[in-house]
Amino acid sequence: MAISETPSAGPAKETLSACPVQPASADPSNAVVKTTRRDFLKAGGMLSMSSLMGTAALMTQSDDAHAAVEWAEHFQKNYRLMTAEEKAEAKARLERRYSAEYGKQVSVDTTDAQPGVLMGYALNIRKCIGCRRCVHACVAENNQSRGKERAGEKIEWIQVLRMERGKFEQEKMNHGYPEGLGIQVGGNAYTPAGLVLEGQYHYNPEKVPEADATYMPIACMQCEKPPCVKVCPVRTTYREPDGPVVIDYNWCIGCRMCMGACPYWARRLNVTNPVLPKEEMNPVTHYLGNRPRMRGVVEKCHWCLQRTRHGRYPACVEVCPVGARKFGNLLDPESEVSKILQRKNVFRLKAELNTFPKFFYFYD
Amino acid sequence: MKKIAIYATILALSGGGLYSVVAAEKTAEPAAAAATTATEAATAAPTEPLVCFESRKGASEITQQDIKPGWPNVKCSPTTGAALWYGDPFEGTVPMGKMPGLENLPEGHALVKPRSEKLAILPMCGTACHNGVGPQFNPPTLPKDKKPTAIPTMEGLVPDLANFQHGRGRIWCLDCHHTTQRNKLVDNFGDPVSFDQPQLLCGKCHGDKLRDWRDGIHGKRIGEFASNGKKRWFTCTECHNPHNVQDGVRNRGFIQLQPEPSPQLPRGMANADHEKVHPIPH
Repeated sequence: MAISETPSAGPAKETLSACPVQPASADPSNAVVKTTRRDFLKAGGMLSMSSLMGTAALMTQSDDAHAAVEWAEHFQKNYRLMTAEEKAEAKARLERRYSAEYGKQVSVDTTDAQPGVLMGYALNIRKCIGCRRCVHACVAENNQSRGKERAGEKIEWIQVLRMERGKFEQEKMNHGYPEGLGIQVGGNAYTPAGLVLEGQYHYNPEKVPEADATYMPIACMQCEKPPCVKVCPVRTTYREPDGPVVIDYNWCIGCRMCMGACPYWARRLNVTNPVLPKEEMNPVTHYLGNRPRMRGVVEKCHWCLQRTRHGRYPACVEVCPVGARKFGNLLDPESEVSKILQRKNVFRLKAELNTFPKFFYFYD
Repeated sequence: MKKIAIYATILALSGGGLYSVVAAEKTAEPAAAAATTATEAATAAPTEPLVCFESRKGASEITQQDIKPGWPNVKCSPTTGAALWYGDPFEGTVPMGKMPGLENLPEGHALVKPRSEKLAILPMCGTACHNGVGPQFNPPTLPKDKKPTAIPTMEGLVPDLANFQHGRGRIWCLDCHHTTQRNKLVDNFGDPVSFDQPQLLCGKCHGDKLRDWRDGIHGKRIGEFASNGKKRWFTCTECHNPHNVQDGVRNRGFIQLQPEPSPQLPRGMANADHEKVHPIPH
């Protein structure tokens, strides 16, 4: 209140004020009482703070890197609001903790978006043979939980969808007609294509590609208008300036609003404590990318930020045996993705939702 | 010379079994494989080195080893033996050489893995039979014209030739292989092309694919994604077997292979049979 700051402002100003209650500090006698009370509270607060600080100091001094880091992590800001120093502190803290935890030198990168880069992805849907190598390359790169014992312990970001090829058959020419004088609803000479509810993710034949199937890998589409970002109540997921939609895992509360909002089933929740064996852990990590996650946070594809921010292809692109996966800079007219957009037949998945993915499907 | 000596030994050992010695590629040959790893065996641990295939079985391979502690050059799939993750995308690569259309790339930014190292009988082709100087081949028995003739020796060497489908009978050996230099391919002008640069040959007919490959749309490149970045380019024959383009069991594009394991089932789901149920009966 402005009036309490200027107690000697004069009667003219006081009449202007509509406030019916006189400010407490205006009366010097009252102010004395208030000050003492405030001092008392302040002292109490200081006392409790100092005891907490003491505990923190004790925890920091202990050898348990995990405990010290936990303490600091609870008080750190959202990544986007951190200053450069705070980012450096968080990076050092995490590197110390992960290195102790996984028994090797772990780096946590905080490289920002590079100017002049807008990442884009294209997938040749005609070439995909459904071998799932991208799925497992992603797991090897991105430190997902990979337990086998309990449900939800194994997390994969890419899903390969098997879709049937439909056909029309002579034998079914008489199907779909009513007996007698019923209402004709049309024929059933077809075997429906792709009408298997959500498709098959758990297909496991001896060899792929199968004769009667096509395959469609889906993962995060890195939308330009991401619905997940719109719904996040703590604003911990957001679109980076170079394209990918990322998550500050520390601020995720695990509410799963984003999982409900995503039309591409791209997001995964760490339901259990992530199972990440030391020897399989990838020590090159990014703060917004593949650093090890905790229980109760959501994660998803981020186009291997730890690689792509340094110019390297994402892991899934590098292992695709048929070269169906393409990645590049959309702002560079010479990049492979730009060339595909110029030359090939391209579509976006669920384009009608106006999410404007930067992940394009194409075919020859 | 040492390499040739090894092959000569193999050839001698197998005696009449020329057929068994020279399958088109080294992978099936334990003896040849041992020769490859012999150089590394001196430095590597005594344990069996883990070798995984890159695109398809029988084409390029990579031996797993640690670049630095906890950082392997490649991670292989325990299920299928395929390369799943690259720590070093440029291992074992050499510069691609001159390639029309890629002149603007900075020096040393286009790399390939030499194919000639993988082809088991290639060193022999130019020395043992097709050297043009041996007593039996003097003067060398070169074909008079380009009319296809059945060559039992070659069919013995490359079993795929018995049912050769590439070109559907409109092309034969000497449309791709050089007439006098059998360890080379041939371009449109009759000039030899290295086995490491099959794109110069394949582009003769598959021009649209060559154009897409050059622009990075067809085929595979690993390394840096920037358009002028340092990349390893996968050449045509690392993914396609030109002798066997119509694989009997395969039904499109790429040879069939074993898939990686399927995802974990959600809590309480015993199997994934529900995926096979059609919402509309038919």
